[in-house]
Amino acid sequence: MFRGLFGNFRWGVLPVPGRVIAVVFFVIIFVLPLITDDRSTLHMITLASIFAIFAVSWDVLSGYTGQVNFGHALFFGVGAYSSGLLYRFLGWDPAVTVPLGALIAALAGVVTCLPALRLRGPYLSLLTLAFPLLLAEIVRAIPPEIAGGYVGITGLPRLAATPMGRYYLCVVIMLVAVLVMWKLTDAGSKYVRTGLIFHAVREDEIAARATGINTIRYKILAFAIGGFFGGIAGALYAHLLTVAGPGTLGIMMSFQAIIWVIFGGIVSIYGAVVGVFTLYPLVELLRGTPVHDYRFLIMALMVIIILLFMPEGIAVRIRDKIERQCPRCKLSNASWRRQCRACSADLRYVADS
Amino acid sequence: MAAFFEVENLTKRFGGLVAVDNVSFSIERDEIVGLIGPNGSGKTTLVRCIIGILSPTSGRVRFKGQDITHWRPWKVVQAGLAGTFQVVKPFRRLPVIANVMVGCLCPRITRRGEWVKSTPVKARDALEFVGIMDRALEPAANLSHGDLKRLEVARAISTEPELLILDEPFGGLNPAETDLVAKSMKRLHKGGRFGRLHSEGPAMLIIEHKLSDLMKIVDKVLVLNYGQLIAYGPPEEVVKDPAVIEAYTGKEVPIA
Ligand SMILES: Nc1ncnc2c1ncn2[C@@H]1O[C@H](COP(=O)(O)OP(=O)(O)OP(=O)(O)O)[C@@H](O)[C@H]1O
Ligand SMILES: [Mg+2]
Repeated sequence: MFRGLFGNFRWGVLPVPGRVIAVVFFVIIFVLPLITDDRSTLHMITLASIFAIFAVSWDVLSGYTGQVNFGHALFFGVGAYSSGLLYRFLGWDPAVTVPLGALIAALAGVVTCLPALRLRGPYLSLLTLAFPLLLAEIVRAIPPEIAGGYVGITGLPRLAATPMGRYYLCVVIMLVAVLVMWKLTDAGSKYVRTGLIFHAVREDEIAARATGINTIRYKILAFAIGGFFGGIAGALYAHLLTVAGPGTLGIMMSFQAIIWVIFGGIVSIYGAVVGVFTLYPLVELLRGTPVHDYRFLIMALMVIIILLFMPEGIAVRIRDKIERQCPRCKLSNASWRRQCRACSADLRYVADS
Repeated sequence: MAAFFEVENLTKRFGGLVAVDNVSFSIERDEIVGLIGPNGSGKTTLVRCIIGILSPTSGRVRFKGQDITHWRPWKVVQAGLAGTFQVVKPFRRLPVIANVMVGCLCPRITRRGEWVKSTPVKARDALEFVGIMDRALEPAANLSHGDLKRLEVARAISTEPELLILDEPFGGLNPAETDLVAKSMKRLHKGGRFGRLHSEGPAMLIIEHKLSDLMKIVDKVLVLNYGQLIAYGPPEEVVKDPAVIEAYTGKEVPIA
């Protein structure tokens, strides 16, 4: 069922022109508050950063490790609610509740993973789909004085006093979180073996086992990583909006992550970031315009077009256009180079992939 | 003194079908043993029970003095027993070399002090050893069946086993390639270093359909038929064994 989704990806680090674009992107994000102090723009990018953490964490678990999770909102919601509850009952600061919320979400990842270990493919996905819905029902069922019922836990302290402070906090956390997840999943890494092993577990679990990989341990690890970063996103979200509500556990939240990642490009990390920073602002900017009511329809159409014409995802497709692999050493080069930057092999006659 | 590797009364049932029927044998540290038998005689099932992919219905498997029956496959590999698959199972979308690098990450090796950094070099030496180094950077899905068979072998030897079980390693190879792989298996069996690839000089259990490919390299041959062990001994004797001839020519075995 999911075979087709993964396509033929390129693995390795973000090279040459792609790297330049990534740097430019982050520079723009960092100087944006100096150019404009429009609160809604800043708020939008702040939220996009939070969602980028969330989407990338889905990519690590589902794209890299192949444990396709339809209920990733569980981690978002657990992060949001645990930091909310920690504040409500212990009065702790976001500086404490956010990391703790993330740890609790990682624990939730491990716990959901245990029944999920025996399942594979669509069965796993359907099981995971149920978890956040179940938790949302539980939250609504317990007395509102504890978990806030239908409204959620309100009155949480803000992350920072000013919009600019919140903006920089979220952007920096996003940058660090994405870099960490990128390193953890980098199959070419000289120091971390998780990337290669995640790939192996996705490609063929039985073969990975027979090659000496404790696949159970690494699946649990993937769920914990997915849960941890999903939880950070949820906790930041709750403190940003000052409320941890049942919407964080909703089906929409789970599927948005999937849509963002597939739009940008699965199994690539940067694709997830591109997906979020394209689709989320798009929907937000259409708010209040004449097509306001159709904004999700427009997003759906864009996603369908991408799935039909570039199933590998928009960011991955663009990267394929601007970069070319050296046929000899497989190093990525800008597609307009004539010679490989490392082995100086002739690149002029390499066919576009 | 317990044998290096020992299978004792191993039985595996699939519902009513007895695929492996009360099989017992042992392998010494310095042996290369062949396992032959007609189609569907239970060779692959026997191996899968040994390396922990299937759980045997009854019986014991002992390796280096430990009872490894029902162990998880990765524990078995980490103990020093690696196997290949008859139906190849490469990591299809990973480059060929990455397939082997996964084997180099086995805790058995990293515990000895080799670190992740050295895996690409070592994986390259393993590919060199089986002779598919020139395809190292292609996705494994591009390889021909014969090359995938060799990739299976490379991945298994990269975990540095002390007992190597090969399930039809020559399937899909032409006679020249068969000869080449058979020779390199002999070299591996002697042990030593091949570049960065370290060989413990593993004992081997090689499964084949026909004995002819094995004759030259094996010390002993096991013959399975309908899940039962019908002969065990040096290859020259086994080919003369009437029961074996019966099994292969398919005549009714006279009631003894
Ligand atoms: N998972 C399974 N479920 C049910 N029956 C099985 C299973 N695996 C194997 N069998 C049956 O067990 C018997 C032995 O099969 P096995 O694959 O071990 O034979 P083999 O000796 O390896 O044959 P070949 O020479 O064709 O590789 C066959 O009759 C097969 O149909
Ligand atoms: Mg077989």
